[in-house]
Amino acid sequence: MLTELEQIQTGGLAELSGITDETGLENFRVAYLGKKGRLTALAAGMRNVSSDQKAAVGAKLNEVRNALGNGIDEKLELLQSAKDAEAAKGIDLTLPGRPAASGALHPLTRLRDRAVQALRRMGFALADGPEIETEWHCFDALNTPADHPARNEKDTFYLPDGRLLRTHTSTVQVRTMETAKSLPIRIIAPGAAYRRDEIDATHLSVFNQLEGLYVDRDVSLADLKGTLEFFFQEIFGSGTQVRFRPHFFPFTEPSFEIDIKLEAKGQEAKWIEIAGCGMVDPAVFEAISKTRGDKVFDPAEVTGFAFGLGLDRLAMILHGITDIRHLIENDVRFLAQF
Amino acid sequence: MKVSLSWLKMHIELADLNVDKMRDLLTFAGIEVEGVEVRGIDSDKIVVAQILESKQHPNADRLSVCQVDDGSGTPRQIVCGAKNYKVGDKIPLALPGATLPGGIVIKEGKLRDVQSNGMMCSGRELGLTDDSAGLLILDAGAPVGKLFRDLQPPDVIFDLEITPNRPDLLSHFGLARELAALTGKKLNAPAELNTAAEKTATPKEIRLEAADGCPLYTARIIRGVTVAPSPEWLQVRLQSIGLRPINNIVDITNFVLHETGHPLHAFDLAKLDGAIIVRHAADSESITTLDGIVRTLDSSDLVIADSSKALAIAGVMGGSDSGVIEGTKDILLESAYFIPAGIRRTARRLGLSSDSSYRFERGVDPQNARKASALAVKLILEIAGGQADTEQLVAGEAPQLTHDVILDEDRALKLLGIPDLSREEMERVLSSLGLQKSGDAWSIPSYRMDLQRSIDLVEEVSRVIGLDRVPGRTSGAFTSSQNPDRAYDFAMSLRHALVNRGWFEAQTLRLVSVAQLHDVLGPPVSADKTVTVKNPLSEDHTTLRPGIVPGLIATAALNIRQGQARLRFFEIGRVFLTNPNGTSREEERIALLLSGPSQPISWHEKDSAPADVYDLRGTLEALTGSSLDLAPKPLDGWLLSAEVKRGSKTLGWIAQLHPARAREIDSRNPVYVAELSLSALQQGTQGAAKFTELPRFPGMTRDVALEVPADLPNAKIGEFFGGQQKKEPMLTGAEVFDVFADPTGQKLASDKKSMAWRLTYRSPERTLESKEVDEAHARILKVLLGTLPAVIR
Repeated sequence: MLTELEQIQTGGLAELSGITDETGLENFRVAYLGKKGRLTALAAGMRNVSSDQKAAVGAKLNEVRNALGNGIDEKLELLQSAKDAEAAKGIDLTLPGRPAASGALHPLTRLRDRAVQALRRMGFALADGPEIETEWHCFDALNTPADHPARNEKDTFYLPDGRLLRTHTSTVQVRTMETAKSLPIRIIAPGAAYRRDEIDATHLSVFNQLEGLYVDRDVSLADLKGTLEFFFQEIFGSGTQVRFRPHFFPFTEPSFEIDIKLEAKGQEAKWIEIAGCGMVDPAVFEAISKTRGDKVFDPAEVTGFAFGLGLDRLAMILHGITDIRHLIENDVRFLAQF
Repeated sequence: MKVSLSWLKMHIELADLNVDKMRDLLTFAGIEVEGVEVRGIDSDKIVVAQILESKQHPNADRLSVCQVDDGSGTPRQIVCGAKNYKVGDKIPLALPGATLPGGIVIKEGKLRDVQSNGMMCSGRELGLTDDSAGLLILDAGAPVGKLFRDLQPPDVIFDLEITPNRPDLLSHFGLARELAALTGKKLNAPAELNTAAEKTATPKEIRLEAADGCPLYTARIIRGVTVAPSPEWLQVRLQSIGLRPINNIVDITNFVLHETGHPLHAFDLAKLDGAIIVRHAADSESITTLDGIVRTLDSSDLVIADSSKALAIAGVMGGSDSGVIEGTKDILLESAYFIPAGIRRTARRLGLSSDSSYRFERGVDPQNARKASALAVKLILEIAGGQADTEQLVAGEAPQLTHDVILDEDRALKLLGIPDLSREEMERVLSSLGLQKSGDAWSIPSYRMDLQRSIDLVEEVSRVIGLDRVPGRTSGAFTSSQNPDRAYDFAMSLRHALVNRGWFEAQTLRLVSVAQLHDVLGPPVSADKTVTVKNPLSEDHTTLRPGIVPGLIATAALNIRQGQARLRFFEIGRVFLTNPNGTSREEERIALLLSGPSQPISWHEKDSAPADVYDLRGTLEALTGSSLDLAPKPLDGWLLSAEVKRGSKTLGWIAQLHPARAREIDSRNPVYVAELSLSALQQGTQGAAKFTELPRFPGMTRDVALEVPADLPNAKIGEFFGGQQKKEPMLTGAEVFDVFADPTGQKLASDKKSMAWRLTYRSPERTLESKEVDEAHARILKVLLGTLPAVIR
């Protein structure tokens, strides 16, 4: 029996070394160590072995089983690592990736959302109003003189019924105050506005603005300055310099234009006009109070500030876009850049 | 408005302010500096020279050879091409080494074989005037050899934007007055003027028939003037701010306008027929204005006329027949006050804006009319000679446009938000601007018509002090979100969902053409059922879009032209609809356009099949997070079309562009579009989702392939199984998993299709046994065969 075991060990190991694939190895394992394998069959003969030989045969049996078992494990590892190495062959990591779906938001949407998110963190809620407006909402209520040039048909689109396409989102100030139940008012209104400009590299007849309004009993220039400085630093970075230049708008007094200092590529930092703002003119509160017929917006009691910025221009500055028409043409090669 | 620094310096000392400081000063006073230009030349190589001799160039007909005295004692030879000089004239001479504006360096050299040692210059070559016709002839008194820059120092021209509330700044004196107030510098007293005695005009002299548009009209008559070119200083002043000198009288009126801000007009007295009449124009009365254009007027316009004809459009422009020209001897000098609204209306209607109308329509100071006239008279007598009448004819009366204003100091301090601002400082600021406090009230100078209310004074204080001393406050009220907030968030979530699926967001113009209405998705929209603009800029932008799809089709066309085949565009935005009663409404929509390969083309995906309507439907369902129903409804002009529904609610439309239209935009692939109402979509997405308990026991599936008529909609089969779920509680789901048709008829009759469905059976209480599932399945199929025109394959 010992001789037989010896033969199985030598023969088995020799056979093992010639095996080249996993199926052969499995067949080998079954042939030797399986239920009907040679070693298993031989082991069944143990009970016939004389008791004085039992220990020696048993030891040998274990030795052969271990030798074959280890041999199989080693061989398996060898075969698997060879196969693993094969699996990586032919993969060229320098080939482009399989395209995953990727679209893009319009750059104006991205910018608008950035502004909206910043202002919401500062406690502003969104407001909305129609784009087809009455002259009263667009001009009269906003203290614009009856013969102001902006009302001209040369500059403003009118409908046959006398209504017009709003020339600014400031109409939402009026809409909001008309219907507000109580103070404070703290709103922003992104939206489209219209001006009768021929479309060229720097003009669109429809453009995008963002309006803001804060009205309460004790709103001062300190609120205007703090809010807008914070806002523009949120958008352009905390170190951004913001300056307020006195200006004139019919519906705010005092009024300011806001510049920020921006570095264009390869150029010296320049002051760029970016927004208009001011304290709500008491005449606006008067017009609102008159139409509401109550004292919620009593000009003697309430104050507020308003601001507005042009998103198209801002997007152009921010991204270095040279022609405003890119914003309405929607060439994928343009959109994919943002 | 162009402003000359050297002109300003006549009124105020500004030597300590360089250009940058001036720019800052103006900017923070609320005056936008749109441009700064240096005019003239700062060179130590350009001198005053006198022409001693001029001879014809031997080799060139157009050139002459001059000897000039440059002050060195030795005559200098210069070859010159100009013709406008005579021997003895003094001219600017650029010596060798001088650099002219534009970078030209003067060198000694030969011109057609004759030595030339410098260049005699024109005004244009020195950057002084726009006149390049000949040499700049200097005053006879200019000292030979003197540096030209000492004779005519270089000037800085500011291009300023004056806001409409500050007409008092539309002049050099007005601006100097403002700068003096802001800097505390002394304003030089204006030259002593002899204002003439006033005489109320008789109807034979002035008939003021339109006091509604012209409250004040004054005239001064000057006889025996000599009309001639203006002296050099006056020409330089006007040219420095971009005006063309005409003759001494006209130039003086222009000078006074830019000096005082008050427009004047000079008439040739000989051309006047009787009294000056200030009246409304007759309807369709016409006049030829100074620019040679015939203007047709109406009764809202104001004219200055005589008894036979209109002489000028009041405050806007003079007529070509009554102006001062060479040979005019006697003049009538008008100084009047016209009501801004009337001037604005006329100027706008005629499309005619002049320096005069620009000022009158913003508002000039009526109290300034006499002073402006007196200054002009003084200059005319000095420059053009003649004799002025001792009296100024006056009709009407200068209106008082300012009144005392009480400043609410407490509210002012609160609004300004400057902690260390005192009442005294506010008063100092207002006083510096020429306001005077008497008792509680501030009296306002007549030129500050913009200061009418307490808030106007607050603005002045804020403007002068600036915002630097205002500490920014970063606090504010809490606000609750409103419907616009929810709509915004919903729209943004759709945008992100689409972008993450490979879609590009477009933004197209809201103004479209009538032709584009054919592309509106839905029942046809005729032009009279749209919102149209009364005064469009062009045919392309007449109509407020009643749908977004037309814009997306234009977007697709543009991208196809650029070689893009794979198109995935969406837009979220507003459309404009008309109601049956003629009113309009605005609605937010989302529209999508899909065309081209379903997968991006790359090295491992060379030609993927074109996307089809199921791709678009799948995207819509992913967006809405729910299954949608498509109810086919034919639409003219679309190949396939269906209403998109969720339950009984119609959300919008889905369609395939008609191939004929697709070919028009050069699309080689089918084009699919959808347009849905955003608010309808948003409904049903609100509120927290309710959790359904997960099934605890395994389910079993059974497949069945049905052979049905090719035109049987899948939805019919779905409806059947849906109905069966109520009768067979074990049936919990059914879905189609394969569709097969064979147009050749070989594997399946060509009028049939095979629909394979997978049914899921499950009980919430226990694990089902095969046998009971088989029985239920058989029952269902039996009913199916009795209900639908189907055969089990």
